[in-house]
Amino acid sequence: MEFGVCSDKSKAFIRLDPRSKLLLLMAISIIMIGGTTVGIEGVLRIICAAIPCLLLLSIRQYKAATIYLLLLGTALFCEKQVAPYTHGMCNIILMMICGLITRFVAGYMMGWYTVKSTSVSEFITAMEHMHCPSFISIPISVMFRYFPTLSEEYKSINDAKRMRELGHPLKQPLTYVEYILVPLMMSTVRIADELSAASLSKGLSAGGKRTHICEIGIGPIDIVAIIGSITMFVLFLVY
Amino acid sequence: MIEIKNVNFKYSGSDIGSLNDINLKIAPGECVLFCGKSGCGKSSIIRLFNGMIPNFHEGELGGSVSCNGEELINMPLYKIARKFGTVFQNPRTQFYTVNTTSEIAFGLENMGVAREEILRRVAETAKELEIEYLMDRSIFELSGGEKQIIAFASVYAMNPDVYLLDEPSANLDFTAIEKVRKILKLLKEKGKTIIIAEHRIYYLRDILDRALYLEDGRIIREYSVSNLDKMSYEEHEKTGIRMLELSEMNYTGGHKRNNEGECFLTYFSGFYGKKKYLEIAHARFETGKIYAVIGNNGAGKSTFLSAFSGVMKKTEGFVLENNDVLGRRKRLKNGYIVMQEVNHQLFMDSVLDEITTGKRDIDDGALSNLLSELDLAGLEERHPMTLSGGQKQRVIIASARYSNKRYLFFDEPTSGLDFYHMIKVSELLKSISNDDVYIFVVTHDYEFILSCCDAVVHIENGGLKEQYELDVVGLNRIQEFFLINKK
Repeated sequence: MEFGVCSDKSKAFIRLDPRSKLLLLMAISIIMIGGTTVGIEGVLRIICAAIPCLLLLSIRQYKAATIYLLLLGTALFCEKQVAPYTHGMCNIILMMICGLITRFVAGYMMGWYTVKSTSVSEFITAMEHMHCPSFISIPISVMFRYFPTLSEEYKSINDAKRMRELGHPLKQPLTYVEYILVPLMMSTVRIADELSAASLSKGLSAGGKRTHICEIGIGPIDIVAIIGSITMFVLFLVY
Repeated sequence: MIEIKNVNFKYSGSDIGSLNDINLKIAPGECVLFCGKSGCGKSSIIRLFNGMIPNFHEGELGGSVSCNGEELINMPLYKIARKFGTVFQNPRTQFYTVNTTSEIAFGLENMGVAREEILRRVAETAKELEIEYLMDRSIFELSGGEKQIIAFASVYAMNPDVYLLDEPSANLDFTAIEKVRKILKLLKEKGKTIIIAEHRIYYLRDILDRALYLEDGRIIREYSVSNLDKMSYEEHEKTGIRMLELSEMNYTGGHKRNNEGECFLTYFSGFYGKKKYLEIAHARFETGKIYAVIGNNGAGKSTFLSAFSGVMKKTEGFVLENNDVLGRRKRLKNGYIVMQEVNHQLFMDSVLDEITTGKRDIDDGALSNLLSELDLAGLEERHPMTLSGGQKQRVIIASARYSNKRYLFFDEPTSGLDFYHMIKVSELLKSISNDDVYIFVVTHDYEFILSCCDAVVHIENGGLKEQYELDVVGLNRIQEFFLINKK
């Protein structure tokens, strides 16, 4: 997830609204995981596999796009050309790995694109535009900043532990976990408290409507993406 | 006009009142300081104004708090937020977003201000506080000082009439405090009311109108700026109020000890990943001395500590002691960092276990000596988390000394301490300093350096800029570093 206010739009030549990204992500994952390879579903799968590649190229992630294509290509090749020549256990394992890759990698790449191309602010704005209730949107938005803070805490507790030579991770795993978790929980509670106090003092939970510094909106490309996803869904369900 | 009438407050679960019979009036445009020793109730006063008491911190509250005739108690928090802006103590835990620009806009978004207006106000804030270079950055890249400036900016953008500051300088270095001073001056010129709870006061000299001194939740005295100026050292020690004029601090460090041991750093460098963050060609340190490690934020002081103590995984070069090479493991065995956040270093469920690390073969003589030396006798069975901050710090030192750690590193042990407790820490360091231990203290606290340190290690740009004893020449140098006009 980008820590900028708005994701860097000058770099991207296809700009999608976070909401259409989520819809595409859903469509691609369902079709790739649940679909068969024959008939109309086979065509849908090819389209679904191509979309993440196109989108990755659009945000200039050439390396990721190449890796994606290579991975998918190798898996398909193995499935069709290599697997028939293997037998027994070897065949099962090969089919399993290839199956997993061909079914999951497109969804994974689409997810990666969504995260990579959306800033936290855009994501939160989108959630609120979707009328996501505040008891969901507020914890999620705090989460984005909470985890990095927590990992900073973890690092310093771990350093403190090493200086005391307490609990070896392999020899005494339980003690190790205890010595990390107890202080971590202590600081978790404190951080959560201070974070809530700070955001309440800036008027969060105000009765009125919140506005957003970050502008998101449905453009022509979004309409194409939304209609496309819905059509694919319908085709997938009907056939 | 802000008015508090007959306010009493008791946190739920506590037996003693945290605020007792508080009565006061603050005129618009005034800058009022609340001071007193830790736990005196000055943070509770700030919480009373910003509505955290009783909305967030629950308890029994009586009396009235009003602003221009409007009662604040029971006013919803978002309404209070339009009049009162708060900057908190800890820069790490007061951000809602992950980006500086979003953070400055956050309060305005909550108020429902239109997007164009938000953008205009954010840009204006950046210009007036001179922080354009910090805009649209990830919060996690910023130093503590920069974060605190963003916290100021996010309140500034909301344009409240009253600024509430809860120990804003506690975690800041000298340069960052100078920036805060500038911002406060600007606020004062704009006629804003400023209410501060704070220990360090030297940076408030030109802003402050009066100070209210609290003890056990009561306002017991009022000081004018000239009263504060004329305070004697004994009064500072008794009241815990820090110096308004740093140049009046006298040097009380530099005690004669037998400096027998010595250690050297030779072409010593420390890495995070592949990047080198520290490089010291040559340095020599002696036992029995307390070294103040100074430098600006990001200069490499913490890196120095973690590389020297062996916590850092990748280091190059040598640490030599009496012709022995101390490798990383040996340094980790002999070294100990007393961190700023003491809660991270307490693992056991009793003070005794904490000190002996749960070992069964206890050396009773050494233990009882240590306990009485560090004023911990009688606390053996207490849970470390129930102790006060100072006691926790002493337990950590005791555990380091009990396991014969000889390289003791302190990371800002006096940040957020009043004068009285700061002097206590400096006496403690003097008492554990002997001809077997090396003591290094990373600090931004001038008063503390003068009260106990013997020498200065000045780190800059990941290297050793200079190293000097605190003799007459050294004292001049340290004053220059802190930009203090000589007497």
